[in-house]
Amino acid sequence: MGNITLALAKGRTAESTIDLLKKVGIDFQDFHEDTRKLVFYSEDASIKLIFVKAVDVPTYVEKGAADIGIAGKDNILESQTDVYELLDLKIGQCKFVVAGKEGDFSPAKQRLTVASKYPNITEQHFRKKGMDVETVKLNGSVELAPLIGLSDVIVDIVETGNTLKENGLAIFEDVEKISTRLIVNKASFATKSKDIQRFINRLKEGLEAEYENSNG
Amino acid sequence: MPSYQIGSAKKESSEIAFNRRESLITQLKTRFSTYGYKQIRTSTFESYDLYTNLSGTVNKDDMVKVIDSSGKVLVMRPDVTIPITRMVVESEMLEELRYFYIQDVFHNTSSNGSTERTQAGIECLGSNRPEIDAEVIMLAIHNLKELGFANFKIEIGHAGFFKSIIEPAGLSDSEMEQLQSLIQSKNIVEMVPFLKELTLSEDLRDAIQAIPMLYGSPREVMQQIPTSLLNENMRKNLNNLTSIVEILEDYEVGEHIVLNLGLINNMNYYSDVIFQGFVEQVGHPLLMGGRYNQLGDHYGVDLPAIGFAFEVDLLQQAIQQKGLLNGVSPMSQLVITYEKNKQKEAFQIAKLLREETFPVRIYPESMEFSINPTDTKITFTNGVFNITTGEDTQTFHSYQALLNFLKQNGGE
Repeated sequence: MGNITLALAKGRTAESTIDLLKKVGIDFQDFHEDTRKLVFYSEDASIKLIFVKAVDVPTYVEKGAADIGIAGKDNILESQTDVYELLDLKIGQCKFVVAGKEGDFSPAKQRLTVASKYPNITEQHFRKKGMDVETVKLNGSVELAPLIGLSDVIVDIVETGNTLKENGLAIFEDVEKISTRLIVNKASFATKSKDIQRFINRLKEGLEAEYENSNG
Repeated sequence: MPSYQIGSAKKESSEIAFNRRESLITQLKTRFSTYGYKQIRTSTFESYDLYTNLSGTVNKDDMVKVIDSSGKVLVMRPDVTIPITRMVVESEMLEELRYFYIQDVFHNTSSNGSTERTQAGIECLGSNRPEIDAEVIMLAIHNLKELGFANFKIEIGHAGFFKSIIEPAGLSDSEMEQLQSLIQSKNIVEMVPFLKELTLSEDLRDAIQAIPMLYGSPREVMQQIPTSLLNENMRKNLNNLTSIVEILEDYEVGEHIVLNLGLINNMNYYSDVIFQGFVEQVGHPLLMGGRYNQLGDHYGVDLPAIGFAFEVDLLQQAIQQKGLLNGVSPMSQLVITYEKNKQKEAFQIAKLLREETFPVRIYPESMEFSINPTDTKITFTNGVFNITTGEDTQTFHSYQALLNFLKQNGGE
């Protein structure tokens, strides 16, 4: 009884999370890095793990296909889903910024064009600032947009800032800090309250132990 | 390779979906009326001013607006509680009133992307007692149980709890909005730095941070509440919640009750107990409601009241997801063919059968028509009835014999 479905974003997030879960005694034995399987069970079969694309994690959780999801704040924000956001796993820390060509920011212009992989976050940010902008949705190489005049600025994720620098772009403004978060379906939180809280508490203990190790 | 036919499946599923929806609504209506509620309806088009004068209810941009012939702006009903309250105020009825409704509400931006949503709800106006509150919540539970849901929870909170804790903080509108959405998503991770930026006493900050996790079994939650911040009024409110929960225990539904003091309803008219219902796997509440004792004040009348509404579309989706309504199939019809010279008699037979509430289609034998596998074919020739169901054919010599047979086999 008390089965929980956990949706993980494929890639680095998944590996770090599985490591963390192992440390707190939740082991997915048949998982290894090169596997192509998408569904795994924990030893006692109480947790079902599914691998999905990072952008889809919030959807799986909101629709109830998974009770718990672990994904980047960027995807959670962009999806605008109605879920609980209960834990920061502190993995993959980076930030959303507004960036553009160095020294070439002319805010006197009537309407700013912004290129981004994240149109919802972009629109929300500028709406909060009371600015009316035109958003161009791109799927990659966003840094290119201001260089060739497709947009005035971009809204994108920055970890080290190297990519921006190499392309002659500068950060104008920080939008929001990003890291890996744990989200929960609101109905699951109500109907499987005990199992979910137990799972979260174990994860929390694991995080605290890790934090102490790195600082001790 | 498995085959599938889109066209026929679509036709069948739309009929079945409609039948399921109808039987769902009938079930809800029947249950509502057994608790003493009577059905009413309100107008689809309403004055725009009715809503703009009530702040913190429906967002202006959210309302579907139309313009009448004199240029006046009307809205398509965005909410049912407000018009029912106004209707009751205008009718000047003072005794306890129990109403239910099945009505559509219209919004430009709704979470599931549709403009039109059907709500099935009740309003109990004129009394203010925990017994009434508990019975209203019990009615919601009764409905959910009867629809076959086993694992569901009703989250109970208080509209005044968050408001009164937050009051001394003196937040601006935008700060308030931000804090509300952090509490609604139980996002303590981001709430901590957000509260640090504000100038708050440590006690107050701790209390606000505790709100999202005041969640769980009523007894445990009540013990976790930071007592240092409770004033007389809040104590009274919490006692009121406790009595509602205790009464619900006498209804023997305690297992379905969760206290969620981080519950915030975006409808500003709620004043006391608020609640919402979840079933497994459906991430949005299937029902929402609460007590709105001050809404009457807007119309100059003291009118305590409580109500809730089911989201019918979401409910139907949840039922389908759980496979709870497999039994409902399209109704079998009788298809009668007749010889042209016996038309008068055939019409009489059809009329009698319809009066017995059988669904009947009747055609002259020369006419082409389609017949479904579930239908029963009756040929009426030479005053004799031949009934074909599947492979079998049976013959009857009189209407009475036919009727007896149909009644026995009609599965009534």
